[in-house]
Amino acid sequence: MQGNRRKGISLFAAVAVLCGLLLTAPGAAIGAGKPIVIGGSLPLTGEFAETGLWIERGMRYWAEEVNAKGGLLGRPVEFKIYDDQSNVGKAVTFAEKAITVDKVDLLFGGYPGTAARAVMAVAEKHRRVYVSMGGHMKSFQQGYTYSFGAPPLMGEWWYEGFFQWLNTVPADQRPKRAAVYTINNPVGLSLQDSINRWTKYLKIDVVINEKYNSPLTDATSLIVKAKQMNCDILFSNGFFPDGVTTVKAAKALDYNPKAIVQGIGSVVPAWVKELGKDGDYVFSGTVLHGMLNYPGNDKLNAYVKKRYKLPAYPLYFGFGYVWMQTLQQGVNGAKSLDQTKIRDWLKTHQVDTIAGPMTFDKYGLPAPINFATQIIDGKAELIFPKNIRTKEPVYPKPAWKK
Amino acid sequence: MDAVLVIQSLISGIMIGMVYALLSVGFSLTWGVMHVIHISHAAFGLLGAYLAYSLLTIYGIDPVVSAAASAPLLFILACGVYRLLIKPVTKAKEVIVASMILTFGLAIILENIMALIWKADPRIMTPAYASGALILGPFYFQHPHLVGFALSIAGIAAVYFFLKKTYTGMAVRAAWQQPEAAQLYGVNLYRISMITFALAVSTAGAGGISLALLNSFEPHSHNLWLIYLFLVVIVGGVGDIVGTALAGLIIGTITGLSMAFLPFQWVNLVTFGFLMVFLIFRPHGLFKQGA
Repeated sequence: MQGNRRKGISLFAAVAVLCGLLLTAPGAAIGAGKPIVIGGSLPLTGEFAETGLWIERGMRYWAEEVNAKGGLLGRPVEFKIYDDQSNVGKAVTFAEKAITVDKVDLLFGGYPGTAARAVMAVAEKHRRVYVSMGGHMKSFQQGYTYSFGAPPLMGEWWYEGFFQWLNTVPADQRPKRAAVYTINNPVGLSLQDSINRWTKYLKIDVVINEKYNSPLTDATSLIVKAKQMNCDILFSNGFFPDGVTTVKAAKALDYNPKAIVQGIGSVVPAWVKELGKDGDYVFSGTVLHGMLNYPGNDKLNAYVKKRYKLPAYPLYFGFGYVWMQTLQQGVNGAKSLDQTKIRDWLKTHQVDTIAGPMTFDKYGLPAPINFATQIIDGKAELIFPKNIRTKEPVYPKPAWKK
Repeated sequence: MDAVLVIQSLISGIMIGMVYALLSVGFSLTWGVMHVIHISHAAFGLLGAYLAYSLLTIYGIDPVVSAAASAPLLFILACGVYRLLIKPVTKAKEVIVASMILTFGLAIILENIMALIWKADPRIMTPAYASGALILGPFYFQHPHLVGFALSIAGIAAVYFFLKKTYTGMAVRAAWQQPEAAQLYGVNLYRISMITFALAVSTAGAGGISLALLNSFEPHSHNLWLIYLFLVVIVGGVGDIVGTALAGLIIGTITGLSMAFLPFQWVNLVTFGFLMVFLIFRPHGLFKQGA
């Protein structure tokens, strides 16, 4: 009887001690095993679905990798991804919902720049760290302190690499007259920044500088004008559909400038797949590329090669991955999910990513990054700076093969 | 202003305008005959484009052949859609509103099916002649534009002669103009409506293929095409085949001339500004008079 009572007291004491231990243990220990939910929206249908899907694939690959290594802060990660249907308004609504209703632990970056730009304001309002491509320079100049471009997709930097390369071409071989056609939206207009600066510096006359509204249903007039005015460099500052329409018209009308520079449309895999040889020799720029010699790129390329039968990871797959990679380092650095601690850590430390090492200024921006690319034999090759070059640039562009 | 640029822009504009006309002719018919505003019309056009794309990339079949082959396929599909979805809606009190809502949903379903089958990637129709051009003096006629233009002329002419010269076509017109009288003469309104709807969807397929020869397309492209459908049909007059063809030409001409004379960013402003002015003076279309 007495033995039973003693046993009872011992059991009670053990349970009490256990409860006491649980109550005093750090939160992370209690929550161990409970997933960290990372939420937001991507354009999985609608106009930007192609890009949105690649971003999602990049993010999911990152999550697979992190979970296989024991998770983030010892907890598995999972996504709560809404489809904003390529609609900025919905992207904002879903960001609000993810924060206030779903109470997600972290936010992920969205697409396109117009959506990211709008969500940056939401993130700031709720004091949530938001690592994304941003919405070009102006979006980073709004005084937001929780937003990071890691790396940003900065139209203002987009042609820096190309022009730096052109600067290395002997002056007598450079183009003399430029035709610049730009889609009339913030993305297209941001591309004009480097064109204006560099054409002046390189003494290239911009003889045509016109904007067009989307959709560009026909580029015949654009090309006829450029041809008539003997423009020997063509800047097509638009998305995939306008870029394709312009290049197809250039070929049909046998317009052969020394260089065709295509802003945004030529970086999606469909450019090479659908245009084939006609998409070759087009110059562009990038802030990220599978052939960059930074740790992690080889592994990503191998995965994409095996899974999607592509020679290197598409740009937006890389973006999806690198934004998460940055956030991961912020969380690990802060050793917490406290958003202000993550932000402060990111503002004061270097992150090492597949896009290279980055430190962030007060705007949440790294130092300007841009690599010049050219489509050669159906592949987006890095051509400048020289230390990362994967292939010699083809210049002047060979005449169209009929 | 350079005459070559003006004429070249005009040529391109007219060719594209005719392609819009082919895409619009069926939209105009269903609106005029059945009072159904078929929002998924352009989505069916896009479906035609995707079918032609697959036939081209897998079997090397020319899009023109595909346009002919896909027409009966789409006709049969449309008959099914009519029986299942459209017919009940034509009995609604507010046919126009009900049909718009229903077919808006249908367009979303079609878009998602296309995204599922062909993925969200943008596509380009690249037959062997895709990047060639016929050169006449200083003028270039891009082969895809020429083919699209020819296909459009043939498609619109076929619809026109069907309506004017065949018994069924005349019954369609009778059903549109005097439905009660047509019924008294033994015209089966249900059958006529189904044929009209199916014919419209078939022409949408050919129009979609023609348009896909000119521009890249994605599962959501039909939303953009729909804007031009409304533009052409409102200018041409609802249910008016000749008016629709002329409207396509007029809109193409305006777009072409705007591109030659004005900064490119003004083109859409001028085109849709024209629509507003046109509606003030000709609210019933090119040839129709108000009640």
